[in-house]
Amino acid sequence: MSSETITLNPQLAWREIEGRVVVISPADSVVHELNETATFIWKQAESGRSVAEIADLLSLEFCVEPTQARSDTEELLRMLLQKGLVTS
Amino acid sequence: MVGSVPLSVHFDVTYRCNERCVHCYLDHEDYGELETTEIKNILIQLAASGTLMLTFSGGEIFLREDFFELLEFAKDLHFDIALKSNALMITAARAARLRALGVRQVQVSVYSADPEIHDAITKVRGSFARSLKAIRFLKSQGLRVKIACPLMKQNLAGLRQLRALADELGISYVIDMTITPKLDGDTSVLALRNSAEDLLGVMQDPTLQGKAVLDDGSESGVGSAVSSGMEGDAYDGIPCSAGHNTCYISPYGDVYPCVQMPVAAGNLRTEKFDEIWRRSPQFERVRAIRDSDLPVCAKCSIRKYCERCPGLAQMEGGDLLGAYERACELAEMKARVAGVANPVSAWHAQNDGKILSPATLSSLVQIASL
Repeated sequence: MSSETITLNPQLAWREIEGRVVVISPADSVVHELNETATFIWKQAESGRSVAEIADLLSLEFCVEPTQARSDTEELLRMLLQKGLVTS
Repeated sequence: MVGSVPLSVHFDVTYRCNERCVHCYLDHEDYGELETTEIKNILIQLAASGTLMLTFSGGEIFLREDFFELLEFAKDLHFDIALKSNALMITAARAARLRALGVRQVQVSVYSADPEIHDAITKVRGSFARSLKAIRFLKSQGLRVKIACPLMKQNLAGLRQLRALADELGISYVIDMTITPKLDGDTSVLALRNSAEDLLGVMQDPTLQGKAVLDDGSESGVGSAVSSGMEGDAYDGIPCSAGHNTCYISPYGDVYPCVQMPVAAGNLRTEKFDEIWRRSPQFERVRAIRDSDLPVCAKCSIRKYCERCPGLAQMEGGDLLGAYERACELAEMKARVAGVANPVSAWHAQNDGKILSPATLSSLVQIASL
């Protein structure tokens, strides 16, 4: 997964509100509110970075071990993929 | 709920319409609608202010030749887009385009399952058949469609058939018991309202009072056809979401807390949205109101049965903080249905029965003189 680039689902409505990204899927109208780290990852994905690049930036931004950052990034993106919020 | 962020905005992009519904609160003349570039600029400002949910309404939105251009622009700004339309101009191709543009829901006005009654309300012959055809186009594209039906004297008896029609189409519906005065203050349309007694059957129907949820997540039941969908427990202690997380923009750029609260707080042709939203005295005043500030309603024993609307309190009773006759009547009827013995609203109790406010009295005089 690390070299993959993640793309936000173009059908989504989303907005960063008071530092958190809120996403609405038009398919089911479910509202998802992302936490601080997920918001960070979302915004990096929006700018077209690969999973590995996002994990490196997450490690720097939140002062976590690179392996932990990689694991957290991949876990979140897998979840977003399952929900159809992003595509790989 | 987040602080004062305009999460949901109701934007009427035109008041022009190809129907002439008997109960409509709008003046359909065009007095200088916002131009395409002006609307795009407003959308950019809304996105920057945190607006996520955007409802395009009218008038009839598809009468704007630039409407799809506006939709595409809004989609690129990642809005959650809902539409309100009579659907007369929705073809199969347009339905497909709406789907491609990620529109989440289209609310279509349908007043009856009886074409004669529907067409008599819209004053457009054949409008029922055209709207139904369009609903089927929208459904075939997988779009979420909702019927909106304001109840009035003409269509109350056919409510059961309308619900059956929605079920047959596989779509949700909202039944609205509110007929509002016209935005210019003309209250003549209120004569179309059903009395509280006539609405007893609606209030007694448990399937209408609850919210039936369809597979697509949409809800059916009694509610508001103009609502942002953001009312509820999140606003405990506050009369409604107007001015807190929602607002209304007219085709001329006027900004109001709500379409039913015509208190112009500023105009987007001369001011920035964020300035109006954050600093206008009108929004500050609305935001400061708490349920406990309502001089009469706060001490009402049947308050929990009341769906008092601050905007209608202003329009019908002349006071944003006041009580008004229609809300009291419906609350008393709902309380009676719920088993409360001899329910009397605080306003009626205070006035020893139904003594009307000067504003309401004046409106009734107008009705009587028609």
